[in-house]
Amino acid sequence: MGLARDTYTLFLRELLIFKKNLGVNIARSLIFPILFIILLGAFGSSPKNIPVALVNYDNGLTSLQFINLLQSGDSIKIVSSTTQQAAMGMLAQGNVAAVIVIPNGFSSSQLPKPDIYMYLDNSQPQSASVINMVVNRVAAQMGTQITSASTALADPVSTPVPVVTNYAYGAASNYESFVVGGIVIMVAAFGSVFSSGFTVLSDRELGNLKAFLTTPINKFAILLSKIGYGTMQSLLSAYIGLAIGLALGATVAAGFLGVLELIWIIFLVGLSFGSLSIALAMRAKQLQTYALIGQSIVMPAAFLGGAFVPVSLLPPLLQTVSIANPLTYAVNAVRDIMIKGSLPIGDLVLDSAVLLVFAGLMLALAFVFFKNTSEQIS
Amino acid sequence: MPLQNEYAIEIENLVKKFGDLTAVNGISLKIKKGEIFGLLGPNGAGKSTTINMLLGLLSPTSGKISVNGINMLKEPEKAKGQIGIVTQETVVEPELTAEDNLMIFGRLYQIPADELQKDIDFALKLSDLESFRKAYAGTFSGGMKRRLETAKALMHTPQVLLLDEPTTGLDVQNRSKIWNLLRKINKEQNVTILMTTQYLEEADQLCNRIAIIDHGKLIALGTPSELRQKIGMSTVLEVEADKDSLQKVEQIFRKIGLDPRISGNKVFAAGGAKPVEKVERILKLLSAGKIDAHNISMHEPTIDDVFLKLTGSAVRDETGDFKGGRQSAMLGRGR
Repeated sequence: MGLARDTYTLFLRELLIFKKNLGVNIARSLIFPILFIILLGAFGSSPKNIPVALVNYDNGLTSLQFINLLQSGDSIKIVSSTTQQAAMGMLAQGNVAAVIVIPNGFSSSQLPKPDIYMYLDNSQPQSASVINMVVNRVAAQMGTQITSASTALADPVSTPVPVVTNYAYGAASNYESFVVGGIVIMVAAFGSVFSSGFTVLSDRELGNLKAFLTTPINKFAILLSKIGYGTMQSLLSAYIGLAIGLALGATVAAGFLGVLELIWIIFLVGLSFGSLSIALAMRAKQLQTYALIGQSIVMPAAFLGGAFVPVSLLPPLLQTVSIANPLTYAVNAVRDIMIKGSLPIGDLVLDSAVLLVFAGLMLALAFVFFKNTSEQIS
Repeated sequence: MPLQNEYAIEIENLVKKFGDLTAVNGISLKIKKGEIFGLLGPNGAGKSTTINMLLGLLSPTSGKISVNGINMLKEPEKAKGQIGIVTQETVVEPELTAEDNLMIFGRLYQIPADELQKDIDFALKLSDLESFRKAYAGTFSGGMKRRLETAKALMHTPQVLLLDEPTTGLDVQNRSKIWNLLRKINKEQNVTILMTTQYLEEADQLCNRIAIIDHGKLIALGTPSELRQKIGMSTVLEVEADKDSLQKVEQIFRKIGLDPRISGNKVFAAGGAKPVEKVERILKLLSAGKIDAHNISMHEPTIDDVFLKLTGSAVRDETGDFKGGRQSAMLGRGR
């Protein structure tokens, strides 16, 4: 009763200070997602207009249809239509990322259709995978069997491998959705770490913490208001990040309901990292130390959680670490919602449960550290 | 069951240890309701530790504290509600307006919502900040901040006001404003005031009673005039000179049968009988020894003198050389 009122009062104080610095606070929430999205090269770089050379031995109606379909998304741009020899030369010099060969008789009604050959420059795996994906999709659309060959440039001789592509999930997804899912979780963790623990320390330096402790309140009201403020900042940062991501092309497969579902996941991340940051602040005692430790926790946790690179691509040792990393589950939950459409539901329950346990542990840790250290604040 | 308590603050056998260090070593004090009480002591004497225990920030190793008869250890929240605080380092929220500063602390001091606005208006008037109610406290001058903080401490009409060096760093004008404010609330609202200060003349002028603590122990307690009598100095003889000449001046004092002490660039001693004659002899000896004295005086003992005599060090370390001050204090005692 008293605790709730005092917590509200102190939370109100945080809001008033937040309001005073509204511009700075919003700017801070904007800078992180924008910076990371750009730095990660997700947007405005390779996945759009990747240059490709075309060799067309067919020149029939169906081949023209195929070419049109290839260029219908913005991913691939056919920059040259030439002989195979000239095209391979362009590939060797890095002027194009792939050479696509349409064989003679492609337009004839004879079945099976002859294989399409594709020479990929895999020294740029990102564009190679995009081209591979697009060509496969178009080929599937046209009922054509595609033969692809990753070209190590030293070994242009290719062995044709038939590819069967089946998107079980996320057929409509793109790299934007993948990266934004990770960024949302990272900025959520940063949001609370740089609000909860950070303001505990700055309040301590200014003497405010001591002033609060001399008032007739339950001292845990201070702790709870700080965690509440951090969680609020997490939600704000994450949703600003999400909005920027959506504006730049990310999608949420689960739709508007998914956007609401995200509140729960981000709330748990904010709560746990806010609590953790307060435990840290009670020990660090100096803003510089705190900022250093805070960053060296959040950044690796986000990375190992698969925020930028899928966990399955990490080295085996780091994959093991990822299992114990709560952010793995948060990132996974967000991806389920944004890419898979929050199905299968069992995954989301597991992710929530792990995060809930972690939040409980961190909250307990914050309580213990706050209780033990608040005597030293005077 | 408990009788209407005549004491605002009772401290019994208070002890606080930090590991091997005993910061407060068995202090007992009873401060009457309506008193203005000064707590003095050199740096590291245990003043702040005592104050922090009174504020409920530190829990004592042993001993008892009660405020208006409420046990601080058993009912800390209730006891804290009786106290208003003005701390050494001015604490106002720079990023809140004057009004919001008061609103937040009013709520924390459990002022009911329907009385809050009235109390805020009262506090703004008391601190002479009515026209700045919407201004951010960060834009205030040092004096305005201190006034706001004092008003904040008084808003919930506490029975006891605790001031930790309330006028440190303030100019003369703001200092006298604070003094007047303290006298006023003490008289009109019968608020008990417990203050620490570095300015001994402040304690002399404001306080009804003074306690001096050193090495965690209470070494003197009484009204300012009682303390002056206690040190047995009817008059004080004092010579100010260059540091190099202080030893020679000290020898002169001894030569005419005085018991001198050195503090800063001063040599001083109790005048005893016929002090004027002694001044004459000191003057002669100084000029004979070609010692260049800056100032020679004979005056009634001040609280400064009491403090020097009892603790052997000045209340403020003017050079900031804490250790040196304490060492010379020890040597003084050894004699």
